[in-house]
Parts: sequence; C-alpha cells; structure tokens
Amino acid sequence: MTPFKLKIITPEKTFFDGETQQLIARTTAGNVGILAGHTPYAANLTASPLKVMQEDGSFRVAAVSAGMVKVRANECVVVASAIEWADEIDIERAKRSKEDAERRLKAQASQKEFERAEHKLKRALNRLTVSGGM
Amino acid sequence: MATANMKDVKRRIKSVESTRQITKAMELVASSKLRRAKERALAAQPFFAAVYDTMADVSRDHVFSSIYTKKEVLKTVLMVVIAGDRGLAGGFNSNILKLALEKANEHKANGYKVKLMTIGKKAVEYFKKRDFEVLDEYPGIAESLNVYDSLDIAENVIARFRLGEFDRVELVYTTFVSALTQEPVFLPVLPVKEMISGSGEKKSLMIYDPSPEEVFNGLIPQYISGILYAAIVDSFASEQAARRTAMESASDNADEMIANLSLMYNRARQGQITQELTEIASGSLRDE
Repeated sequence: MTPFKLKIITPEKTFFDGETQQLIARTTAGNVGILAGHTPYAANLTASPLKVMQEDGSFRVAAVSAGMVKVRANECVVVASAIEWADEIDIERAKRSKEDAERRLKAQASQKEFERAEHKLKRALNRLTVSGGM
Repeated sequence: MATANMKDVKRRIKSVESTRQITKAMELVASSKLRRAKERALAAQPFFAAVYDTMADVSRDHVFSSIYTKKEVLKTVLMVVIAGDRGLAGGFNSNILKLALEKANEHKANGYKVKLMTIGKKAVEYFKKRDFEVLDEYPGIAESLNVYDSLDIAENVIARFRLGEFDRVELVYTTFVSALTQEPVFLPVLPVKEMISGSGEKKSLMIYDPSPEEVFNGLIPQYISGILYAAIVDSFASEQAARRTAMESASDNADEMIANLSLMYNRARQGQITQELTEIASGSLRDE
C-alpha cells in the first residue's frame, strides 16, 4: 500500500511525525479508515483507540482523548488534546481518574457536573481499554 | 564606641549577604523555569494553529449558525483571570490584577454582571477579598500544567456557557514580550466573533463529517482549552521573567549595600587603628 504523511499534534508536543499506510480512527459519525489519496476530509474524534499501521503491517494503537482528524493534499493531521501509545499509558493513573469520575457520577450533582464526570469517565475507560489494564 | 559600631556593621553585612544568596538563588531558579516555560509555549503553537485553521476554514466555506458565534445579548460576563501563585515577582501580579479589576469595574459600570474564574493563588486571594462572584478557582496548576487541566477548565467554561450562566467570556493574562517586558492583556474568547486568517485556499472540497456545524462545535472545547493552555503557559513564562528581573535587581542592590557597608566597616576599623596609634604616640611623648 502507498504510504502517506501522518502528523499527530498535541498541545504539549508533536506526538508523531512520519509515514503510515493506513490510519483507523473513530469519529463522532463512526469508524473511518484513511488510506493514501483520501479526499479532503475533516471530522471530530471521540475518546477512542487510534490505530496507526506500521511498516510490517501491524497496527500500533494509541488512546486518544478528543480531537480532530483532517486530510488535505495527501497529508493527514490528527489534532488531539491528549494521546498516549498503549504501552505508555500509566494504568494506575487511569484507574485513579476512573474511580474519581465514578465517585463524581454517584454524587448526583448538577447536570453540568454530571456531564463533566461522564466525559472524564469515558476518557479514563478508553485509556484502560487501550492499555489492556481492564 | 568604635568597637560596638564595627560589630553592628559586621552583623549587617552578614545579613545582607545571606539575603543576597537567597535572591541570587531565586534568580537562577526563575531563569531555568523561564527557559522551560518558553519551550512549552513554543511546543503548543502547532496544535493551536491547526485547530484555529480548521475552524476558520469551516466558517469561511459555509453559512452556518452555532451557539458559540451567536449575536450576544450581553447580560453577564465571565472573566477568566490568570495570575501567579507566588509573590516576589516585581509588578507581575499587581499589574495583571489591576487590569482585571479595571475591566471588571468597567463592565459593572455598563450594567453587566461580572462572574470570575481565577487561575493562580494570587488571583483567587485578590478577588475573594473584593466581593466578586468567583465561580471556580484553580490555584497552583500553572507550573506543572497538563492538557487535562486546561481541558477541564475549558469544559467547565463551555458547560456553563451553554447553560446560559454568562453570554460572554473574556480572558485576562500576561503575555511574554521579552525577558524584560511582560504585558497584561485582555482577550475576548466567546462568542467566537470572526474567524479570519486560515490558510488562504479558495473554496475547498473538504468533506465535513457529519456536518460543518458539528465539526465546528466539536472543536470548541479544543479551541478554548488551547487558548487557556497557551495563556497559562504564557503567563507562567512572564511570571518567571518578572521574578528573574526583580531578583536580579535585588541581588544588585544587595551588592551595592554590601560594598557601602564594607566601606563603612573598613573606615571604622581604620579610625580605630589611627586612634590607638595617636594614643600610643601621645603616651610615649608624655613619658619623654
């Protein structure tokens, strides 16, 4: 398969800058697979695993919290507020934030608090699923 | 008499010297923190540019409406004020808080309600003392700021905005101009007034999935947290720069004081020796 340029950017650093043959991401509208020569495209990502194909054809998986995927002129940019490779996830930290989120959900606070806790729980669960720490 | 005075002067020299050691150490710490903060501020640039470009593309290519761009009916303003966690940074904290207070009073004079969110201990203390409605406070996050912190604040702001707790969001923080100048600035954040700039392409063939509005609205948390992240890092860099300058001049002052005191000490010592000599000389003269 033809490789294409992929860049993954977070506020802290450029997380990945290189080439891949295929990228699988989960957008708010469903899963998308991106290959070389994709039409210009933009969509939001949900808290989900992001799969990047490596040279040997296997996928390297990362947990992305929220962000956007954008394709333009055969270059793909993933903008994520937070992203971690599966093997680099701090499982203890993810578990702690999951417990914290669950506690807040149980507290039956206002609608706003509830939504925030829900988001947090989703992110934590995603990190745990991707890292296999569940 | 001279001996007692000399002792005093010596003690003062010692105390100034130890103060100088502290200010010198603070200066060094601040300059290394400044370097790291500058690196972080630089690293955040591409992220923010990418989010901003996409939002600008959407707003240029499509006619759409979003609650984040709606015409405002101004009743309540949320001001997010970013100041330092610690003092001893020259005019850093007082400059930014003065600007924030000025703006807040201006809004009040125009008949708007003012609500606040404060980042940094100094900002929290300042506005609590002055009877402002502080919705949330985030002390002590600037130094080891991570994305989750800024995302959390952004989500808090957005959720309240959607519930109509306020219809305008403004940010007050200090921007780093150079190592010697830091400027307090004021930045309207929501509603997103006009999206200009972008990358200059004409009508793009971009497909927005599921729709331009949703992509735009979905980017808002990223956009706000990007702005907050950049502003907090910027403010932290400014704080360190201000502290470095303040501590540098404190060290210089200490040096000057030490020089003056040493001069005084040496004069007193010389005076004592001269006096002793005169006493001996006059004593021996009498003997003759």
